[in-house]
Amino acid sequence: MSIVEFSQALYDSDIGTGIRESLYLFPAIEGTHLLSLAFSVGLILLTDLRLVGIFLKDVPASDILLRLRPWVLGGFAVQFLTGILLFWAEGATVVKLAVFWLKIFVIFVAGLNVLWFEIKWVRHVGDWDNQAVPPNTVRLIGWASLTFWAVVVISGRLLPYLSNYYRT
Amino acid sequence: MSTLDIFTSIQHSALSSSISHFDHLVGAVAQLAHITGLVLLLSSLVLVNLRLLGFGLTGQPVSKLAAATNKFIWIGLGLLAISGLFIFIPAALIYYVNPFFWYKAELLVLAITVQLTFFHWATTTENIKPILSKAVGLLSLTLWFGVGASGRIIGFLN
Repeated sequence: MSIVEFSQALYDSDIGTGIRESLYLFPAIEGTHLLSLAFSVGLILLTDLRLVGIFLKDVPASDILLRLRPWVLGGFAVQFLTGILLFWAEGATVVKLAVFWLKIFVIFVAGLNVLWFEIKWVRHVGDWDNQAVPPNTVRLIGWASLTFWAVVVISGRLLPYLSNYYRT
Repeated sequence: MSTLDIFTSIQHSALSSSISHFDHLVGAVAQLAHITGLVLLLSSLVLVNLRLLGFGLTGQPVSKLAAATNKFIWIGLGLLAISGLFIFIPAALIYYVNPFFWYKAELLVLAITVQLTFFHWATTTENIKPILSKAVGLLSLTLWFGVGASGRIIGFLN
């Protein structure tokens, strides 16, 4: 079964149709998907600004990373869940858009960036924790993260925009 | 001159038709600037208000977090206001009949008022009773997320 057939099956299912045609459910899910950005990407943005050395420079990086982590992960959990529900309802439309695949691909790349950062740098955070401007590689990871998440948000915002454009 | 007259003349203004002229590009850029401003504004407010509520960066003083995020809050609001005007001006009459446009406007006025009064007070005054800090944090988050949510609903009703 191809992804186009799969998304069409979701689209035609009772749940997919129910979400799409609900007066309240679809806007509620979409609104939650949008506003939880403040926790997921938003708190990552502030963390990245610490990593590149321009925000809360005198606060240990580990303090920001560890204390914000549950809120960041919570934000992403909500976005993942609402994202699945939106895909259930509208996936058949968005899989035809290149920008959707760009979004998914860049989320994957941003995830690898985080994984590398956690394994390679967070474990040895004691070495650079108090540096106002962290080592070059950490700053590079921070700038990369800012770029990746900007692309994710922009491509995500273009999804409904382009879906409607092609539909009409 | 009624509000409807004002909205009608905005939509029929030269500025409105010159924005509409570049419709798709300007529209898309304005939407992207709007969401960028939203992330900048809301994430800063989440950081400070979580702290007021006793979560997040509890090892840092509230005043320090508020000072560090203050410029992000105002840059975010600036981006939202300018891009918002570019979204609003070409379609003023569509927004006039949309109830959530007016809810958003009211919530925005309330949120900015709270920002300049209670929020400012709670983030610059020392030794505030925890119950009051928490009340301000909750009020600020509720109002700003309310602005965001009603803004999102506008799009579904247009």
